[in-house]
Amino acid sequence: MRLWWNQPRMAELPEIDFTLEYPYTRTTGPIIGPFLTGLRDGRILGTRVGDRVVCPPVEYDPATGATIGPEHLVEVGPAGTVDAWTWVAEPTSKHPFDHPFAFAQIKLDGADTTMLHAVDAGSIEKMTTGMRVVVRYHDDGLGTITDVHFVPGDVPPAMPRPAAAGDADPEPVAITEHLIGVRIREPLQPHRRRFLQGLSVGRILGQRSPADGKIHVPSRGYDAINRVPMTEADDVEVADRGTVTSFTEITPVQYHGQTETEPYIRCSILLDGADTTIGGIDIRDIPIDEFRVGLRLQMIWNDAVGRGEVRFDDVDNRSYGLTEAVYERWEPTGEPDVDPELVKEHNF
Amino acid sequence: MARPCAVVGIGQTQYKRRRDDLSLDGLVREAALRALDDAQITFADIDAIVLGKAPDALEGVIMPELSLADALGAVGKPIHRVHTAGSVGASTAISAAVLVESGRYDTVLTVTYEKQSEGNATWALSGGKSGGQGAGGTFAPWIREYIRRSQAPEHIGWMVAVKDRRNALKNPYAHLHLEDISIETVRESPMLWDPLHFLESCPSSDGAAAMVMCAQDKVSRSPHPPAWVLGHAKRTEFSSFPGRDTVKPQAGVDCAAALYREVGITDPRRQIDVAELYVPFSWYEPMWLEGHLIAEEGEGWKMTDEGATALTGDFPVNCSGGVLSSNPIGASGMIRCLEAANQVRGTAGDYQVDGAKVALGHAYGGAAQYFAMWIVSSEQQPEFN
Repeated sequence: MRLWWNQPRMAELPEIDFTLEYPYTRTTGPIIGPFLTGLRDGRILGTRVGDRVVCPPVEYDPATGATIGPEHLVEVGPAGTVDAWTWVAEPTSKHPFDHPFAFAQIKLDGADTTMLHAVDAGSIEKMTTGMRVVVRYHDDGLGTITDVHFVPGDVPPAMPRPAAAGDADPEPVAITEHLIGVRIREPLQPHRRRFLQGLSVGRILGQRSPADGKIHVPSRGYDAINRVPMTEADDVEVADRGTVTSFTEITPVQYHGQTETEPYIRCSILLDGADTTIGGIDIRDIPIDEFRVGLRLQMIWNDAVGRGEVRFDDVDNRSYGLTEAVYERWEPTGEPDVDPELVKEHNF
Repeated sequence: MARPCAVVGIGQTQYKRRRDDLSLDGLVREAALRALDDAQITFADIDAIVLGKAPDALEGVIMPELSLADALGAVGKPIHRVHTAGSVGASTAISAAVLVESGRYDTVLTVTYEKQSEGNATWALSGGKSGGQGAGGTFAPWIREYIRRSQAPEHIGWMVAVKDRRNALKNPYAHLHLEDISIETVRESPMLWDPLHFLESCPSSDGAAAMVMCAQDKVSRSPHPPAWVLGHAKRTEFSSFPGRDTVKPQAGVDCAAALYREVGITDPRRQIDVAELYVPFSWYEPMWLEGHLIAEEGEGWKMTDEGATALTGDFPVNCSGGVLSSNPIGASGMIRCLEAANQVRGTAGDYQVDGAKVALGHAYGGAAQYFAMWIVSSEQQPEFN
């Protein structure tokens, strides 16, 4: 019997800190495309909608939904009037400036609606509602809304990219790319903390439902079918060996953040003593033609567990697998297969 | 008692790998304006809008029902958002029907879409982490379990892949037009998730689909025959629990049983003329024929094998080419519902089933855990014998 609870070398568990991020693209279409192209090349466009001019432009009448075609694009600005503003005293890395600035609703000359943009005013004292501001184009414009900013005054801007002014018809902006993401930080839930700490000392912990006695591994902290919570008193240990109930050979799809390149097996295993399967177990060293439902497998713990040096770099509250931080591989036990019919209700 | 509701307008975009000519606003408007045009009405005639799509992470546009409201003429009108993973297209159609049936709104516009080219679905379904198994990797073991239980021969999956793609050749909106597809090309295409080959899997598409539904006293305003919504059902279950049958999920059985009971259907195979089932991977045709009580257990694959599900069979399935030929995920379920409506309105063009009166539209989502189905008919109260 291995020591585990209150055992001194149980792993330190970090707070969950995960950044979900993807380089999404945007197809700009017949109106936003010319608008972004204009920002890059030195003009600001709106659309004429009836007797009004809407800027930033839209593909439709915002009041009725009627289609507004690119023949209605008109140039506005380059100066305008601040309708409303707010001061950003402490910019973050996502802001257009690393020093304090204003976000303002700017009604450009010739437009009837306001555009939200950044005003580099120097200090909050320079900002007033009704003040005049004028656009400044960036030399390295890519065809995005951040190709420009505004400054107080009426002095007309220089054209962007002066060195490139002789270029013949640069490509219009048709598709843009944006790295969009969110950083998620949350504490580990108590049942999850106990599960991971158990793993760090070589024990697999589940929870026995007080409603029907079924053992959930890993537990969600509640029995979803009977809708009852489970507590530390319901913790039980299960074996580190079990039966394959389901598997897939994965041909990795190449996407942002994907590190897998070669096919490998993903399987679900019903551990002895458990009533739910652990899923997403990677199998790298058993040939696919020898892999099957009903196969008996033994988990081989890694050396870090024996040394009490498990490091959990990537923890979460939701995954239903076991972390590779604690196992080396899974090995066939040599026992006879279990009849697939007997595990068919565990093939998730 | 719910009041009658009918589909009077249908609009679809061209489905493509990338609609590089349209913004997201433009994409949903293309479908919406075509549905309004089909119904011969305008945004001004719409009382409420229901929008559906799959997870926001697919395009990274969070709460698109807000940013798309103006583009859909929703100023001063209620707009609703529905989300039930892959089944969302059918769930959205049902939500729109309920708004009419309840008596609250007379005319409802419903729109669903996906612009898959702007993100990556497998990345999104993997929670943004490396090593995701994707939808095919999730379903493959359940397909193998179906094959084990039913003793179905391996060519069944290939047959479905060929049939649906050949049907798609008759559908000008379909993403895939694979002129040369055959049993051999499917069998020889790369194995993605055993037993699923590349050509047994759905494509990744951009596209949108829309319908106009209205109450009985507004139907005559529109020129084309209506498709009456005879009934609908939605059911859900957890993705994983001890005792779950992933091959024939109880929620799918219950959903179908509730639907047939509501409509008065006692023998679905005989009383339904044509079906559009959500089949993103070939084997789901026989699996849903059994899972939704159209065939006895172990008999679904025989319907496929005998040609019963072909365009000329006694129970045609996915005459439009199905999800295997076009998959703008959020819209895919609505396309099943509107293609069912096309069949009973007689507006299905080259893939029209002669004399179709009663049609089933179906979608499933998540880990085969969300189900949404409806039955439409050319008649308001057809007699089932």
